Amino acid sequence: MKKIVSLTVNGIAHEVAVEPRRTLLELLREDLGLTGTKKGCGIGDCGACTVLLDGVATFSCLTLAIQADGGTVETAEGLAETGKLNRLQQAFVDHGAIQCGFCTPGMLMTATELLRSTPQPDEHDIRMAISGNLCRCTGYQKIVEAIQAAAKESS
Amino acid sequence: MILPRFDVLVPETVDQACAMLVEHADEGVRLLAGGTDLLVDLRRPIIPYHVPRCDGCTTHPEGKVASTVRCEPSDPLMPAGGPLRAALEDPRHAAPKYLVSLHKLNQLKSIQVLGDGSLKVGALTTIAAIPRSPEIRRSWTALADGAANLGSPLVRNRGTLGGNIANARPAADTAVPAIALDGTLTLQGPSGTRTVAAEDFARGPGLSVMKPDEVLTEVHFPPPLPHAGSAYYKLANRKALEISTVGVAVWLALEKPGGPVKDVRVALGAVGPTPILAESVGEVLAGKTPDEKVLGKAAMAAAGDARPIDDHRGAAWYRVQMVELLTLRLLKTVVERIASHP
Ligand SMILES: Cc1cc2nc3c(=O)[nH]c(=O)nc-3n(C[C@H](O)[C@H](O)[C@H](O)COP(=O)(O)OP(=O)(O)OC[C@H]3O[C@@H](n4cnc5c(N)ncnc54)[C@H](O)[C@@H]3O)c2cc1C
Ligand code: FES
Ligand code: FES
Repeated sequence: MKKIVSLTVNGIAHEVAVEPRRTLLELLREDLGLTGTKKGCGIGDCGACTVLLDGVATFSCLTLAIQADGGTVETAEGLAETGKLNRLQQAFVDHGAIQCGFCTPGMLMTATELLRSTPQPDEHDIRMAISGNLCRCTGYQKIVEAIQAAAKESS
Repeated sequence: MILPRFDVLVPETVDQACAMLVEHADEGVRLLAGGTDLLVDLRRPIIPYHVPRCDGCTTHPEGKVASTVRCEPSDPLMPAGGPLRAALEDPRHAAPKYLVSLHKLNQLKSIQVLGDGSLKVGALTTIAAIPRSPEIRRSWTALADGAANLGSPLVRNRGTLGGNIANARPAADTAVPAIALDGTLTLQGPSGTRTVAAEDFARGPGLSVMKPDEVLTEVHFPPPLPHAGSAYYKLANRKALEISTVGVAVWLALEKPGGPVKDVRVALGAVGPTPILAESVGEVLAGKTPDEKVLGKAAMAAAGDARPIDDHRGAAWYRVQMVELLTLRLLKTVVERIASHP
């Protein structure tokens, strides 16, 4: 039997009837059409599905939609401000931190959490923070530089 | 890759959770905390190759090692057809009809230093919250070390202390420090509450003394002693997203800085079917001055207590050597820390 889940996604309140086994990832992508959040491994290994749940970087593939009931979710779609890429997104573009782009939404959400808790992270902080987000293309260096640049700009 | 069909129940109290476990026992029911073990396992039929799992290992009928032999039938703790193994192999376990999700039990999400100086950590405390606690970093350092090195930041944000211990894996990065720090687990069932020493909890890979209708509610650690300290080291191929090849946790108390050993507990991970308390270390160290020679003997004793198997993470002989090396290194670290912060 379906259950009603109420949650706020990128500032908009939603009520969605879901099967109990539905993951937060499936709710976002399939029920709300927010396909910015990617599905990689489905078992916690890659971080492509990272969203912020009540401000905490969360893999949405191992989170049931029911567990997010009453929660506030932020996804990559919510980052742009008034139609313009935000500072972090722009830094990813400017620093060549995006190649195929599959890891990017997850990286952005993880970096968003980091920059909120640690506005001036050093390189080690950044590398530790993104250690659960896999990127098969960039070799990470450009991603680290982009996050550093976004942090500098905001200082 | 969608999950198998199940219903999710959301209790508001531990009593309700126990009642749900009892009510649905015949249909198959499992507790769900962070889901970082359980939801992966429920997907396993579809992705059978998921790596962060130990395939287990063995003890001999007499409780001794058969280090390169696979356990199964000769294992006294879980013989084929025995109650523990049967529980694990029960199809209701692999494909439960109900998950009891504990996410609303906020009362189990706290870290508290009690009036007597002891530490109480609720079972639903996230792994990430543990090393953020200045008290845990200072006085229960090995637990902070274990939590800080578990999985990845995303795993730590979701995974819980209770889930890591209840899952009863030999390499569990908080279970090993919990044993060295003399933790006590509180299990609440429909007919009351009981406590189990951390080292007596696991019974084999994925198997524990917890009854199907019990909930692990908290882990309690004794107050810190003067001139004491602890540390945990996770030896793994990578710094993140890796299960340990060997994990060693050391807790040591001296009579005074540089003085004789008052008490010691060394726990080992990934070198047996469960996390192990290396009991011979106490026999070597008790009452002795912790000089290089004595600590070396203690480390050898720890290596003697290891019961590893060969697997893709490391050979048994290598693991034994690493237990010795890491135990020595950690004992020295703790002795030095006590000297600098008596
Ligand atoms: C990518 C990845 C990497 C990982 N890396 C590591 C690692 O490096 N080290 C490590 O030790 N582990 C690792 N794990 C395993 C896992 O993250 C931890 O064991 C975690 O702490 C489990 O907690 P949980 O709350 O997610 O448990 P869940 O998955 O919710 O539950 C696990 C089991 O415990 C039971 N359970 C949960 N809570 C309770 C309770 N309060 N009372 C009774 N039973 C309960 C459940 O029924 C289930 O059987 C990893 C997992 C993933 C997905
Ligand atoms: S898809 Fe969620 S961690 Fe890989
Ligand atoms: S840009 Fe391709 S995976 Fe990161």
